[in-house]
Amino acid sequence: MKKSSFPAMMSTAVLCFLFWLVITGQLTAIFNGNVSLQSIVIGICVSLFSGWFSGRFLINNSPWFLWNPARLVKLLVYLFLIFPVELVKANLDVAKRALSIKPKLNPGIVKIPVDVQSDYGMALVADSITLTPGTVTMDIVDQDDQTYYYVHWIDVATQEPAEAGEMIKGKFERKVKGIWG
Amino acid sequence: MIFEEFVFFAICFIVMALCLFYRLIVGPSAADRAVTADCLDVLTDMALILFALYSGRSVFLDLALITAILGFLGSVITSRYLEGRL
Amino acid sequence: MRIAIDVFVAISVFFAFAGTMGIIRFPDTFTRIHASGNITTLGVLGVIIGGVLYSGFYLHDGGMVVKLLIMGVFYLVTSPISSHAIMKGAYKHGVRPDKEMVCDKYGEDMVEEEEE
Repeated sequence: MKKSSFPAMMSTAVLCFLFWLVITGQLTAIFNGNVSLQSIVIGICVSLFSGWFSGRFLINNSPWFLWNPARLVKLLVYLFLIFPVELVKANLDVAKRALSIKPKLNPGIVKIPVDVQSDYGMALVADSITLTPGTVTMDIVDQDDQTYYYVHWIDVATQEPAEAGEMIKGKFERKVKGIWG
Repeated sequence: MIFEEFVFFAICFIVMALCLFYRLIVGPSAADRAVTADCLDVLTDMALILFALYSGRSVFLDLALITAILGFLGSVITSRYLEGRL
Repeated sequence: MRIAIDVFVAISVFFAFAGTMGIIRFPDTFTRIHASGNITTLGVLGVIIGGVLYSGFYLHDGGMVVKLLIMGVFYLVTSPISSHAIMKGAYKHGVRPDKEMVCDKYGEDMVEEEEE
């Protein structure tokens, strides 16, 4: 079990406190000007406590990594401009398959190489693959200094690893490498 | 201004959820039932959100959030059981 | 604005319908999981965007907007986790499709590991 560092605890506590503000309705109270002090104090205590024992699960290393404006802008561009286009395209494809009279399916599991090194980058690429309907990540393995994903694909166009990887995650991976490397 | 069409869209979601009961009963394996239960949960959430918007009361949004969290936990725990690591 | 909200919710209903038909009609477990991804991405996001527009412009309720955004982020974070977990669990549990898959690299590698 990893030991929890102080910045990880603090960033988790800040997240928990924002969530507390929203759920208890204090965020609108701040705008209106009638804040109840009791609720704020209880929220700070609870969020510090939950940050103390859950910080090590959420954040491993370099907790203030995203507070770099260039990286943050790149991440927002990725999340709000590049990813939704792929999402809508994949959704239309699967919807067309589901609504056609005779479903044209060609399922299979392919193995694709990944070049992203850091944990967060790998998680983001795997999430992007899984969130687009038609491809679901099944497992991650390390073989001979190269990381591989096993991806279940609803329409196998090619079984060649590099080519299939380019078709499934080419755009995602290039953008994510610019953020996390 | 009141949007009556939200109620009709919510009824559409509920009808789809009822259609999913077919797969929930027939489904050959436990994984099918887990997937279907997850989707049924999501569709019920959508109907709850639309009803919250229609009636203008945010209590239903809290209910929908709790239902979403419980559905996620249920599907993850079912899959861990299927994998044999529970 | 009313038309825009209706269009977003109608898009959501369409994709939810497509996902429902996919779950009912697709032949095996793994393809059904793809159809469920259809419901939990765009089927959710349409309602969330329509609800944010409605509660921002008609209800003037900031708390509802923030709650809806939290729900959208929550769905986007958790739906890939649950579909990945169900698919891996089903594969490990021994579920196989009726028809042979085109290629099954995962199964081949698992067999090789067991032989070693």
